[in-house]
Amino acid sequence: MNCLEFRRHKLADPRRLPDEAHAHVAGCAACAAFAREVDEKEAELERALAVPVPEGLAERAMLRSRTPPRAWRRWALAAGVVAALMAAAWPLVPRNEPQLYARLAIEHVVMEPESFTTVRNADAAAFRAVVHELGATLKEMPGTIRYIRLCPVEDGYGWHIVFETPEGLATLLLVPGKHLAAPQTASTAAWNALARPVRGGYYAVVASSAEAASAFDKMIRDCIVWA
Amino acid sequence: MSNGVGSETIGRAVHDFETTVRAYSADLYRYAWWLCRDRHLAEDMVQETFARAWKSWAELRDIGVARAWLVTILRNEMARSFARNRPAIDIATIAEAELPALPSFEGEVEMAQMLGLLPATYREPLLLQVLGGLSCAEIAGMLGTTEGAVMTRLTRARQALRQQLAAPAQRRSAK
Repeated sequence: MNCLEFRRHKLADPRRLPDEAHAHVAGCAACAAFAREVDEKEAELERALAVPVPEGLAERAMLRSRTPPRAWRRWALAAGVVAALMAAAWPLVPRNEPQLYARLAIEHVVMEPESFTTVRNADAAAFRAVVHELGATLKEMPGTIRYIRLCPVEDGYGWHIVFETPEGLATLLLVPGKHLAAPQTASTAAWNALARPVRGGYYAVVASSAEAASAFDKMIRDCIVWA
Repeated sequence: MSNGVGSETIGRAVHDFETTVRAYSADLYRYAWWLCRDRHLAEDMVQETFARAWKSWAELRDIGVARAWLVTILRNEMARSFARNRPAIDIATIAEAELPALPSFEGEVEMAQMLGLLPATYREPLLLQVLGGLSCAEIAGMLGTTEGAVMTRLTRARQALRQQLAAPAQRRSAK
C-alpha cells in the first residue's frame, strides 16, 4: 500500500483500516502524522454529533413498543381527556383577553421546559445580532445568555432567549410584527410575565416571581435601545 | 411445559430487546436528529423504529446485526415521514439559518455547523458510519450503491470538513 492509498482508506473509514494500512503507517512517519490528525478531527466530529438525548428516551421507546395497541388506544384516549381537562383548567385559553400576550409568554415558557436545561446558541454576539435584526441596539448584556431559539408564537415567529440573572433564570421573548396597545402583565402560581410594546413588535419577560420579572424588565429597558 | 419454554423464549426476547433499546436509542436519536433537526420528530422516529422492530423481533436472527437493522428501519421511517410531511417547517433549521453571522463559535459547535453545511449525499454516509457504526459495505447496501462510491463520499466529506475547519482557524491565527 502506498501513501495515497493509505490516506484514502484513513479518510474513508478511520477506525477500520485493513492490515496493509497498519503495516504502511508503521513505517511511514508522514502518514502516521496524517493519521493522528484525522483521529483528532474524528474525535471532534463524534463530540459534535453527540447532540443531547432527551431524558427517558429508552424507557419511552420500550413502553411504546411493548404496549398492546388496544391498551395504547385506551391510554391515548385517557391522555386526550387529561389534556382536555388541563386545557380547560389552564388559565390561558381565552384568546381575546386584554393580558393575552403576557399569558401567552408564560404558556410558551411552560411548553418549552428544555429552554432551562439546554444550552443552545449561548453567545452574546448572537444575541446582539438578533437585537440588531429587530432594529434595536444592545448597550450591554442583561445577563449571561444560555439559550436562543427562533420559535413559533401566536402571530408568527419570535426569539426565545434565556438569561442567567442575579434573580435566577429569566426568559425574554422578542416578537416582531405584533403591536400591543399597552403593557400587559400576567401571573400563574409559578410564573410572572410582563409584555411591553416596542417599535416593530413587542417583548415579554417571564420569571419565577413578580420581583424578578420586574427587575429583568428594567434590565432589558436599560440594556436595549429601541430605535 | 411448552408454555414454560414459550415464556422463557419470550422473556429472553424481552431482555434482548430492552438491552438493544438501551444500547442504541441514543445513537439512533442522534442520527435522526441530524437528518431532521427536530427533537420531537427525531424522538417520534426512534420510538416508531423500536415499535416496528419489536413487532418483527423474531425475524432478527443475529443480535450482532441489530444496529444496522434498526438504522434501516429508522431510515424507512424517516423517508415515510418526509413523504407525508414534506412542506413542514423545520424550526430548528430556521433558527440556525436566521442567526446572522454567528461569530466565535469554536470547536464542536463549529464542527456542527460545518456538518450542517455538508450536502446530504456526504452527510448521511458519515452519520451512518460514525453514529450507526456501519462499515462502508453495509452503508453501500443501505444506500443502494457500491462500496467504492461510499468510500469516495466519506473521503470527500472528511476532506470538506478539514478544509472548512481550517479556514476559520487560519483566520483566527492571522488576527
